[in-house]
Amino acid sequence: MTSPPADAAGGSGGSSPQAGPVDTADPAEQAKAVIEYCYDQGWTDGLPVVPATRPGVDAFLATTERSGDEIIGSAPHLGRSITVAQAAANAIMAGCKPEYFPVVLAAWEALNLERSVRGGWQSTSGPSPLIVINGPVRNRLDINYEGGVFGPGFRANATIARAIGLIVRNGYGIRPHELEQATQGLPGRWSVCLGENEEASPWEPLSVVGGVEPGVDAVSAVLIRTCEYVDNRGTDSPEAVLADFADTLARIGAYLGGGHSSGGVVLGPEHAQLFGRYGWSRSDVQEWLFEHAVRDRGDLAAAGKGDAPAADPAAAGTPFRMLPSANDIPLIVAGAANAAMSMVFRPFGWSPWSGRSVPVAWPDAGAAGATAGSAPATGGL
Amino acid sequence: MNAVFDSIIDPTIGPANGHGVFALAARPDSLSGLRVGLLANTKRNAEQFLDEVGKILTGQYGAAAVVARKKPDITNTAPAPMLEDLRTGSDVVVVGVGDCGSCSASAVADGIVLEQSGVPAVVVTTDAFVASASAMARVRGVPDYKYLTVPHPMANLTADGVRDKAEAIIPGIVGMLTSQAMAASA
Repeated sequence: MTSPPADAAGGSGGSSPQAGPVDTADPAEQAKAVIEYCYDQGWTDGLPVVPATRPGVDAFLATTERSGDEIIGSAPHLGRSITVAQAAANAIMAGCKPEYFPVVLAAWEALNLERSVRGGWQSTSGPSPLIVINGPVRNRLDINYEGGVFGPGFRANATIARAIGLIVRNGYGIRPHELEQATQGLPGRWSVCLGENEEASPWEPLSVVGGVEPGVDAVSAVLIRTCEYVDNRGTDSPEAVLADFADTLARIGAYLGGGHSSGGVVLGPEHAQLFGRYGWSRSDVQEWLFEHAVRDRGDLAAAGKGDAPAADPAAAGTPFRMLPSANDIPLIVAGAANAAMSMVFRPFGWSPWSGRSVPVAWPDAGAAGATAGSAPATGGL
Repeated sequence: MNAVFDSIIDPTIGPANGHGVFALAARPDSLSGLRVGLLANTKRNAEQFLDEVGKILTGQYGAAAVVARKKPDITNTAPAPMLEDLRTGSDVVVVGVGDCGSCSASAVADGIVLEQSGVPAVVVTTDAFVASASAMARVRGVPDYKYLTVPHPMANLTADGVRDKAEAIIPGIVGMLTSQAMAASA
């Protein structure tokens, strides 16, 4: 619909503002035409994208020591593979700045550690990545970890998550209503990327749990099916707040059958600090939740989850642990310390989290310094 | 086209994939005396459905034997040794049941791979997943690939319900595995 006219170079004089040829003398009209062109190619997730160009991709590739040709993902059943350069093009389209790209690559790698990711992109469950970023990079790239951490409003958070969605869509060709068969999906798919509020957390960073040294930039990721808030501002008792968490974590609806459900918590700083004040470690909280997120086996049977070993009417009155193990309850601290609320999240499938964080690979310090130093001069041209 | 548009990189272009030219395997005239392979995925009732199909093909259509295999993974095609096992151990193969986003697509991929290795195959999915099954056929370079559908859902059926679905689809399965017209249309 936006094919530019061959004779448009003549200027803006006679063209209608409402319809007809694109006024190529007006850069804003050109930008609009480019956006429409990208829509017409089927490249977008429904929102406008930034066009990827060769110089753009080169600028992204300059932020990593990896080769543009390196394959970073394969879907053998689709006969498709994804290269670093292709990821760069999609990250540009998502609205990323070049310096976000090493974080995008680490997020992609972290997601690919998830056993559930292979079927996840096409699943009826329609899961979303939950991407968690630790380290100094949060402040350097203005990655939000405080108020409104689930978004929107912050370019890095929004576009790093969106880049993953576009890589899946354009790289693997997995599009909704085609190879992607989400029954309903979830609010916020391809937009959940948060920094951990390390400054307000009483515990070690999640990335340290995931095996990365403290102070090192790192990304952790899991596929989730939804989030649900726990608003509890009325008590100073750690056990009372934990009981509230456990109630949400033990929902039957999230139970698929087959042994256990899965769940984690993004703790608001007020809740996290309550546990810290009373001397609860992360593993203390995990252990408590594992012990208390239980349902009566009869409740499962009554809800018709009949294929589950737990759903035996004869077992009514006996407790069933809904979560797989204490270690498999990821706890993250993020948000503002302005109200005592937290967010339970539900990992996709039975696997809770790979438990492995991925360090962000920056180019060596000398190269990074040179790039930064040359930026103002380039900008001046 | 305007230079601005020409400079935009197509984000869908990745490393070249290796799909060859596709042709359906040659069809037998009938299933009489043939070995029928059954390739099940891990979805609920898939094995039961194929088991019923196998019983009918041996009991009513003269098939000599049934070779049943179960895929370890719903997303990917069956492992190479399993496909080789089916290729050498059976004369025709029934693949099913595609009853989810990933497995319907991968069932079609299994069918295409089997045809390419020379074994007539028929894929059964539920009708809720035609979009993903057909999308896989396009991705695999065989946009006209034909497969069978049964009414969704499959997972919640009782044994009788599964048998009814199998009986209803049998003429289609026999037709797809033996039809000369179908082989000619490739």
